[in-house]
Amino acid sequence: MPGRPSGAFRTMVRKEIMANLVSYKFFIVILLTSVLIFTSLFVMARDYKSRLADYQLIRPKPGEPIAVLAPNPLSIFAKGLDEAMTRSFEVNALGIEVRAGQQSGNAIFAFFPAPDFVYVVKVVLSLVALLLGFDLVSREKETGVLRLMLSNPVSRGTVLAGKWLGNYLSLAVPFVLVTLLGFAVMGLDPQIEFGLGGALRALLLLSVTLLYIALFLSLGLLVSTLTKKAASSLIVLLLVWAVAVFVLPNLGTLLARQMVDVPSVKALSEKRQQIWTREVLLAITEGRGKGAPVWDAARKAHFDAVNSEFDKLEADYRMKFDKLVRLSKNINRISPAASFVYAATEMAGTGISEEGFLKDSVVRYKNIVLKEMDRGEKIHAAFAYRYRSVGQVLAQGGLFDLAWLAVFAIAFFAFAHTAFVRYDVR
Amino acid sequence: MSKQTVILKADDLSKRYEDGVLALDHLNLDVKAGEVYCLLGANGAGKTTTINLFLNFIPPTTGTCFINGIDVTKDPLDAKKYVAFVSENVMLYGNFTARQNLEFFAKLGGKANLGKDAYYHVMRRVSLQEKAFEQRVKTFSKGMRQKLGISIAIIKDAPAILLDEPTSGLDPKAAEEFLEILAELKSEGKAILMSTHDIFRAKEIGDRVGIMKEGRLVLERTREELQFEDLVKIYIDYMKSEPLSA
Repeated sequence: MPGRPSGAFRTMVRKEIMANLVSYKFFIVILLTSVLIFTSLFVMARDYKSRLADYQLIRPKPGEPIAVLAPNPLSIFAKGLDEAMTRSFEVNALGIEVRAGQQSGNAIFAFFPAPDFVYVVKVVLSLVALLLGFDLVSREKETGVLRLMLSNPVSRGTVLAGKWLGNYLSLAVPFVLVTLLGFAVMGLDPQIEFGLGGALRALLLLSVTLLYIALFLSLGLLVSTLTKKAASSLIVLLLVWAVAVFVLPNLGTLLARQMVDVPSVKALSEKRQQIWTREVLLAITEGRGKGAPVWDAARKAHFDAVNSEFDKLEADYRMKFDKLVRLSKNINRISPAASFVYAATEMAGTGISEEGFLKDSVVRYKNIVLKEMDRGEKIHAAFAYRYRSVGQVLAQGGLFDLAWLAVFAIAFFAFAHTAFVRYDVR
Repeated sequence: MSKQTVILKADDLSKRYEDGVLALDHLNLDVKAGEVYCLLGANGAGKTTTINLFLNFIPPTTGTCFINGIDVTKDPLDAKKYVAFVSENVMLYGNFTARQNLEFFAKLGGKANLGKDAYYHVMRRVSLQEKAFEQRVKTFSKGMRQKLGISIAIIKDAPAILLDEPTSGLDPKAAEEFLEILAELKSEGKAILMSTHDIFRAKEIGDRVGIMKEGRLVLERTREELQFEDLVKIYIDYMKSEPLSA
C-alpha cells in the first residue's frame, strides 16, 4: 500500500537545486555572473581609489572654508550620487561655489552607467533570475513531466513553492558567496576602509539585492504559469524586463519634468548674476565718494542683500527640485528596478536623500562661515558630515522601498499560485 | 485486496469543455483489483479525458470519479495516493539519471526512505539494462523511457494504475515486454485502466475491453466474450458507423 507522502516540498526543492547543478547552462550563467561581479568590484575599487587620491589633493587645509567629503567606500558597490556628493563646496562672501571635486578618471563612465554592483544586479541578475524562472512550469508542461508530477499526492502550491525556493537557493547561495568573497577581498585592501558600519550597510545592501532577485524569479514563475510554451514565456519576459529595467525608470523622470517646472541651472546662474550686478551697482552708487564708513556700510548692506536673495533663490530652487525628485521617484517606483536602486544607494549612503542631507549640511556650514567672516575671523571651522544612520535611512524611505520590493515579490508569487492552480496541465 | 473490490470507478462521468465540445458523455465504468481494463477508441473519443478526470487534471461537468472509494474531486490528494500514472511519452528529467528520476518520483509518491537497492530492484524488474541505471535519461530510447515510467508506477505501489497509450511508438519487442510487466502487475492485484489504439494488445492483456466513440462507451466485452468475437471487426465497424450525434 502506498506510504504517506512526506516532505514533498523538500523533495521539490532538492530536485530543483539538483536540476540546476547538473545543468551546464546553469554553470555558465553562474560563472559569467561571478566574473561580472568580480570585474565590477575590481573596476569600481580602482575608481574609488583614484577618487580617494584626488580627495587627498583637494582636501581643505585647516581653516579653509571648504566643504568637501571623502569618497564613500560603499560607492564601490553603489556609486549612486557619490561623485556629486564629493564635489568641493567653497564658501565665500557670496555664498557657495561648487567645484568639480573627485570625478572618475575613467572616461568611459561618462558614456555608460557606472558598472557597479548595483548595476550588475539591476540588469544582469534580474535577467538571470528570469532565465531561471521562465520555463519552470511551461517547459514541464511541454515535456509532460508536470502531468506525471501532479499525478502524485502533492498540491500545486507545494510544487510551485518548491520550484521557487529551489531555484532561488540555486541562484542566491552562489551569488551571496561570490559577493561576500568580493567584499572580503576589498576589505583586505588597506586603502578601502569599510568599518563596522560599512559592513552592516553592505549586508543590508545584499539583503535588498536578494529581495530584488526574489522578485524577478517570482515574475518569471508568474509568466511561466500564464503561458503554455517556454518560448512564449521567454519572449514576454524579455519584453517585461526591458521595460521594467530600462524604460520605466526614465519615463518617470520625463513625466515629472512635464508636471513640475524647475528652472535650469543656467537660468539660475543668470538670475544670480543679475542680482549680483544690480546690488554691486547700487552699492557703488550709494557709497561712491562718501567716505570709507559709508562705502563699507553700503557694501555690507548690499552684500547681505545679495546673500539673502541668493538664499531665497536657492531655497525656491531646492523646493521645486525636491518636488521634482519626489514625484520622479514615486512614478519610477512602478519599476522594481528603480525601487531597488533607491533602496540600495540609500543603504550605501550614496542616494538622493543622503545627497539632500549633505546639501543641507553644506548650507548650514556656509551660514556658520559667513558669521565667522562677519566677525572678521580668518580661520574657519572645518566641515564635518555624518552620514545618516541605518535606522534613519530605513525610516526615511529605505524601509518603504524594501517593503515595496517585498510587495512586488509576494504579489507576483501569489498571482503565479492563482494561475498555477487553474493551469491546464494536459 | 479481494478481486471483487472496485478500485477505479467512473460514475455518470461527463466532460464538456469551455469551447462546447462534449468530450465525455455519461461514462460509467469500474475496474476491479487484479483486472486490466482497456479503453479503445479513435483520437478524440474520450480515452485521455477519462484518465485526466481520474487524475483530477480537469473537473468533471457531471458525475464522479472514485479511486479506492475516494471522490477524486473532493479529496484529490488523498485519492492520488492510490493511483500511479504512465503517460504516452514519458519524458522525465533528461539531465537526471534513471535512478535519480525514480528516486524523485518515488519520494513525491510517498516512498521517502528507499535505498539505492530498492530502485535498482525495480529497474531490474522492468528489464532496464543495468548500465542504464546511472545514465542520464536524455540518452534513453523511447522504450527505455517507458520502462522507467512503469518503474515509477511500480515503486509507488498504488492499487490502481492508469496508462495513457503506453505502447504507442514502441517497437514490437518493447511493447511485448511492456505487456509482460502489466500482466505481472495484474497478478499482484493492481487495477489497471489503459487507454490504447492497439486492438491486438488490448485483446491480449485486457480482462475487459471498452470501445469509446464521441465520448461514449459504446461497447464493452469481457475476455471470455472476445474469444468468440472478432474485436478488430467490431472496432472497425464502430469507427465506420454514423456519428452518434447524427
